Order: sequence, then C-alpha cells, then structure tokens
Amino acid sequence: MRLTSTMRWTAVAATAVLAVAACSNGGGSSNDGGKPTASDNAPTKDGGTFRLGIVEPTAIDPYNVQESEGTLVAQNLFTGLTSVDVNGKISNALAESRTSNDDCSQWTFKIKGGTTFSNGEAVDTAAFIRGWTRAAAKDAASDVAYHLNEIDGFKELQDGSATAFKGLSAPDATTLVVNLAIKDCEFDLRTFHTVFSPVPKEAGPAGNKTYNDQPIGNGPFKMEGPWQHNSKITLVRNDKYALAKAHLDRVEISILNSANADQLEYQGFQAGQFDWARLPTEQLSVAKATYGPKNEWFDWDANGMNYLLPITYQGPLKSKEARLAVSYAIDRDAIVSGVFKGFRHTATSLVPPAFKDAFQDGVCASCVKQDKEKAKALAAQAGLTPGTKLYFGYNTGGGHEAWVQAVAQQLKDVLGLDVQIEGIPFKELLKKENTNSATGMYRAAWGADYPTPGNFLAPLLATSSIGEDPATHDATGDNRGRYSNPAFDALLQKATATKDIAERTKIYQQAEKLAIGEDQALIPLFTRGQQRVGNTEKWANLTYDFNENPSLAKVSQK
Amino acid sequence: MGRYLLRRIGQMVVVLLGATLILFACLFVIPGDPVGSLAGSERSRDPAVVEALHKRYGLDKPLIVQYGTYVGKLVQGDMGEDYTQRRPVAEILGPKLVNTSKLAVAAIVFDAVIGAGVGVLAALKRYSIWDTVVTLITTILVGFPTFVIGMLMLNLFAVQLKWVPVIGDPSDPAQVVLPAITLAVIDAALVARLMRGTMLEVLRADYVKTAIAKGVPRREVLLKHVLRNSVIPVVTYIGISFGGLLGGAIITETIFNWDGIGMAMSTAIQQQNNPIVVGVATWGVAIFVVLNLVVDLLYAMLDPRIRLS
Repeated sequence: MRLTSTMRWTAVAATAVLAVAACSNGGGSSNDGGKPTASDNAPTKDGGTFRLGIVEPTAIDPYNVQESEGTLVAQNLFTGLTSVDVNGKISNALAESRTSNDDCSQWTFKIKGGTTFSNGEAVDTAAFIRGWTRAAAKDAASDVAYHLNEIDGFKELQDGSATAFKGLSAPDATTLVVNLAIKDCEFDLRTFHTVFSPVPKEAGPAGNKTYNDQPIGNGPFKMEGPWQHNSKITLVRNDKYALAKAHLDRVEISILNSANADQLEYQGFQAGQFDWARLPTEQLSVAKATYGPKNEWFDWDANGMNYLLPITYQGPLKSKEARLAVSYAIDRDAIVSGVFKGFRHTATSLVPPAFKDAFQDGVCASCVKQDKEKAKALAAQAGLTPGTKLYFGYNTGGGHEAWVQAVAQQLKDVLGLDVQIEGIPFKELLKKENTNSATGMYRAAWGADYPTPGNFLAPLLATSSIGEDPATHDATGDNRGRYSNPAFDALLQKATATKDIAERTKIYQQAEKLAIGEDQALIPLFTRGQQRVGNTEKWANLTYDFNENPSLAKVSQK
Repeated sequence: MGRYLLRRIGQMVVVLLGATLILFACLFVIPGDPVGSLAGSERSRDPAVVEALHKRYGLDKPLIVQYGTYVGKLVQGDMGEDYTQRRPVAEILGPKLVNTSKLAVAAIVFDAVIGAGVGVLAALKRYSIWDTVVTLITTILVGFPTFVIGMLMLNLFAVQLKWVPVIGDPSDPAQVVLPAITLAVIDAALVARLMRGTMLEVLRADYVKTAIAKGVPRREVLLKHVLRNSVIPVVTYIGISFGGLLGGAIITETIFNWDGIGMAMSTAIQQQNNPIVVGVATWGVAIFVVLNLVVDLLYAMLDPRIRLS
C-alpha cells in the first residue's frame, strides 16, 4: 500500500512540477537556433570553473561505468587507446597505431611511451592489462565487462578459473598484443569504451571502495577529493596529461535528483548556477526562442534510436507482412510535430543519422511516410484483420504516454486493430519482453557504446543475442523480439571479418536493409533528438560529444 | 511506568517485524528481476553476472530465508548492500537521514512556533480583524498543494531574485529555510486552526471561569490553565506530523533537490533497488512507533488524569 501511494504521489508531483514550471515562463514562438559556431576558433585562455548538473552515476570507476553520466566523469579522468568524435569517427588517443593480423584474431596496439597517471605512475601496457583484467574478474561482477568478451581468456576470468588474462600480452612497455577468441576486425572500436581504460597499481581489485570513489587516472582531469555521493564530484585539470591539456581549472558537477534533474538543470542554468543543462520537454520551444538567438542553444540527432520491438516468433506480429503493415500504418510525421514539437525526427533507419558513413536514409521504406492502403493490403495478407488484439507494452515514468496513445490510435484508425496498451515499470516491462509468453510489441530504444552499426545490429537482431535459457525458455540477451535470420547472421559475421572499413560498412548496410527494410524485425519510429543550453557567452569551444556530454577537455574561457 | 514502557517496546518490536515482513513480501511479488538489467537501461545483464548478483544478494533463496537473513543482519546494524552502486545501505542512507532530519526539525519548529502562536493570538482576539485574517489565510493555505508553494518559492527566490542557489547545499543552514517553509506552511495552517479551536473551547470551560471569578490574574489563568490544557491535541498532531516529516518528504525534497530519504525512496522504487526501499520503509515505521510512544508519554506529563498502565 505504502509503495503504491508513494509512487502515485511521485508521479503527481513530477507532473505538477513540470506543469507549474511550464506556466512560469511566457510563451514564445520557436525559431531556428542552430549550433553556435562563431566561438569555435576563439583563442584559448586557461582558467575558470565550469559547472553542470548530472544524476548520480552508478559508477565512475571504469570497471563498471555504464550510463552517460558515469561516462562523462570517467572519460575526463581516463584516456584509453582511442577516442571518437561526435560523428562517430575513431582516432588514436594513447595508441600510436592499431593493427590486426589478416584474420583479425590478433591485434597489436603501439602505445605512446613516457606518459603517466596523475599520481606519477607510468601508463604502460601493464596498466592496460591491469585495467582490463580487473574489470573482467569474476568478483568484479561488472556490468560492462562483456565488452571484453571477444578476448581470449575472458571466459576463464568470468568463471573464476583464471586470474590472468590469457589473451593479453606485452612484448615491451609500449606494445600491447591482444589475442581474440572471437575474431573481430573492428575490435579497435570497442577500446573507446571506458572499460578499456588503463588503471594504476593503486586501483587494486574492483571492490576497492577508496578507488571506486576517487579513481586515479590519466585523463585531462583528476578528482579533487572523493566523490561526494548524491552531492557533488569536483574535477581539476591534470597538468601531467599526455595529450592536449585541458584549459579549465575546475569542473564542479552537482548531483541532482533523477526524477526532475532536467528541470533542476534548466533552472540552475537560468539562475546562472550552471553552464550547461538539459531541459524539460515542456519548455523546449520557449527555451529555443530565448537561447537560440544568443547562440546558446544546442539541438542535434544523437547516437540512438526509438523504435517498436515486435515479438517475431509468435503472436500477431509473427509475419513480416504484419510488421510492415503496422509500420506503414503509423504517421510518424504527425507525432513528431504533434507530440514532440519537432524536437525529434521521423526515423527512416535503425542505424541513426549520427553514424554519418553508415546511415541509410530511407532504408526502412515503411517508415518514410504513412501509407494507409499499403498497410491495409499487407494486414489482409498477414491475417491481421480488424478487431485483432495487439498487445502494446511501454514503461511508465519515461514520459511515453502521449506518443504511445497516438500510435495506438493510428493503428486502430487505419487497421482497426484492438490495441491493448499497458504501462508498467521498466524492469517489469523488460522481464515481460524476455519471457517465452511475450506477444505483440513493446516500446524500446537503443544507443551504441562504440561507433559501429554492428553495435545496433548485433545485440538487437543477431540470433546469438537471443540467449534463450534452456530451462525457462526466456531470453537473456538483448534480442528480445527473437528475430532470427541465418542470412542476416552471415552478413554480420562477414562484416566483423572484413578489414576494409568502407567495405565493412557496406556489408552492415546490406544487413540493415535485410533485417529492417525487408523483414521489419524492428519498427523504427523517432530519432534521438537531444537539446541542451550552454553558456557560450562565457565559454569558447563548448559543444557536445558522442556520449551527449559537454566537451569539457576542450572548453576554454572567453 | 517501567512495565508500561517495557510492554510498549515489546509491541514496537512486533510491529517492526510485521511491517518489514509485509514489505519484503510485497517486493517479492513485484514482477521483474531487480538485477536482470542495467540500472535505468534496457541492456540485459550477462546471465553469468545476473547469477553472481543473485548469489551475492541472496535472491536465489526463498522469501522466508531472505527475510530471516535480513532481520538477522539488521539487528547487528547491517542493512545490506544496494543493487546499483553496491554500497552499504546504511552508508547511503546515513547522510540522507541527517538531511531529512534537518529539514524535519526546521519545519516542525516553524509549525509549532508560528502555527501555535498564530492560533493562540487568534483565539485570544476572537472575532477581531486579526482573527478573521488568520482564518482566511489558513483556510487558503490548507487548500494549497505543497508543490505549488515549493515551485513558486524556488522560482521567485532562486531563479528570479537569486537570493539562494537553485541547487542547494543541505550543509548550509541558510538554505534550509525555503524547503522548510514549503514543508511547514500547510501544517502550520492546520496547527493554527487546531490551536485556535481547542483554545476557544478551553476558554469557555467551567474551571477557567472559576479561576477568573476567584480573581486569579489573567496571565496566570492563561498560562497555567488554558494553554496547558489546550495544547494536548496540538502536541499529538505535531508529534505525528514530525514522524511523517522524518519519514521523508518526497515532493519538497524533489523540488529543492534536498538529498533526503524521500528522494532516495522515490528513486529506489523506480529502479527496484529493494534494499533501499526496505531500509527507508523500516526507518519510517521505526520512527513512527517511537514517536507514538513519546507522544503518549508527553500526554501523561501534560495531563495528570491520564495514567500509563
């Protein structure tokens, strides 16, 4: 009882907070702000304190960093082998070269010599091996260690039968040799993830609470005192940084309540307390009108996709015609302008436009424009007759109600389906998607950890990502719709075995065309539109990165 | 008195055990694996990691065993480890309890001083313009939702006037004022009305008339006879209200980003971070039964006719 009433009140409060906030600002018409560019080439000046708010991360110690907030901190504390720009282009960071043998079973990384952690310890190959081994160890129970799963010896570390990483070796202090048990010609892309960070000896095992709260790294910044949980994290410039040094003296990160963080961030920005902020959806239009003309408005389609997850192995959406019918019946443009006020865009692919080279505009033909006649014809072909019950699950608390209702209404209007909407808490929804009695479709979203289309296609659609538990028949992987197509699997395999990047991208594009364009294994809906306000009056070179965080290492005073 | 206390404490233990058992059972029947996916994300956890976490948190054991282990550890002061950050629950909740208590004490002082004071004055100057104004304002305030007051104050004093920061620091005493007033305003209005009502009743009582007829000075009548007798229901109200405040104020804490246990509870429920949920709820029940006892003891002190037995 207590639980339900508390939850109800939270929801009421959150809604009310938003409503009141929305009223407290005057109306205004939205005009085009665009990205500030004028400040990008300003002369750089050292000094200053940059302030922003985030929600409490799960971890800032690289062994378990997972969400964008944790990544914001960890990427400023640690620099690994590679870095990625906002368009998903990879480049060397500490690595001087990264090469693989012909069948991509062995990778060799040459590491920049003579660099140190902020405590003076050398960043050599041993430091990388230490970091990777520490994260993969059984006792770490790391949520992100699976990114290391291709490396030989990962299984033994995970099950506790080994303590050293068999596949890693260091012929000398600046050469790291990685032997893969699962061949991968784009393994180097993974090393962008913070779990591939080097750590000093002082880190100890993953359970070292002192290090968990005050990691010592080799990044552009270092911690000033330990993480004050739920309160703040303070970073200061690391003057021993091996690459281009940061200009900011300090970064003060306030930790905010997750229920209304965007509201608090925006209020803090308005009050001059923050230099960078997210905004509540309700206030986007007004904020754009206010900050757009001042060049303080940031608006872009980020690395991520919102889509419907149809259950493809049973139920009404088992046939691809049925899934295509649903996709054609949805008027995405109407929802984009009606519900999202243009702050998200119609998705025409699964691999988002943020992946410049791999993006195929319109690969999801059924996504581009609503086509009622095609939808009806396909539905008839699939036996998706008017009155058919179609389950549609979504998670509450994410603000999805409005567009979910709109989609359901469109399916009802166009196809006459009896759409049964159910809003349940997130974990409950995921559990439901996984069980072998799942049916219909679910609201879902995905963002890539590293910039390869494979990081969308493989986890979401490969047969090997279903991970059916032999006892319960529940799925344990991320392919919850349980799409399985040998031709698609073969293409993915071919892609990871292809060394030439352009060639590989083409294969991925073929795979996406097959799974999305033809089989409609997922139903893309909207892009991941992101909006921020940033104080460009005070700061130069302020922009966003691949993980949707401000570019702290580049920002400088005006 | 001693036996009474002992019996009440015995009852408290039973209530606490019962409440935690019910909570445990509730959390157990909620569908969804609390450690099945990454916090706030749709990424599945590796089955091996899920298994390891089930073991670590005892989630592979039947409900009653889990409960037994929990109570066994609880009496040693160990509230377990949370699911997302894997830190000791006591370590997580400790500073939050301090923050919530600061807010609760400040709010209750405001309640008692302003609420009761205004109520007394209104009763003494009955039907005066002052009384009418108090009645009017308190009636309006009682009907005001907390979040409206909170949002208005934050927007005015933090965003517009910039007298205080939007993102406050609970360790700065000056910054407790806004959230405390937000939290207390409605209660203070209720206390004022309650105080006025009971005071008027007592003022009409025979023993007060007698005292005045006997020529006891008005000051003494008011302090010794009227106030002491009319304060009893107010004390009960404030006591129970204090208990509620110590249990965390989700709305106020959320608006002002006050890192208390109300906020912890709302986040933990969304994440199915059950050790935190059980920890906060257990604290809420404990504080409630203890304060009930304190109120009952205070009764006996204030009213000699009440005997504890």
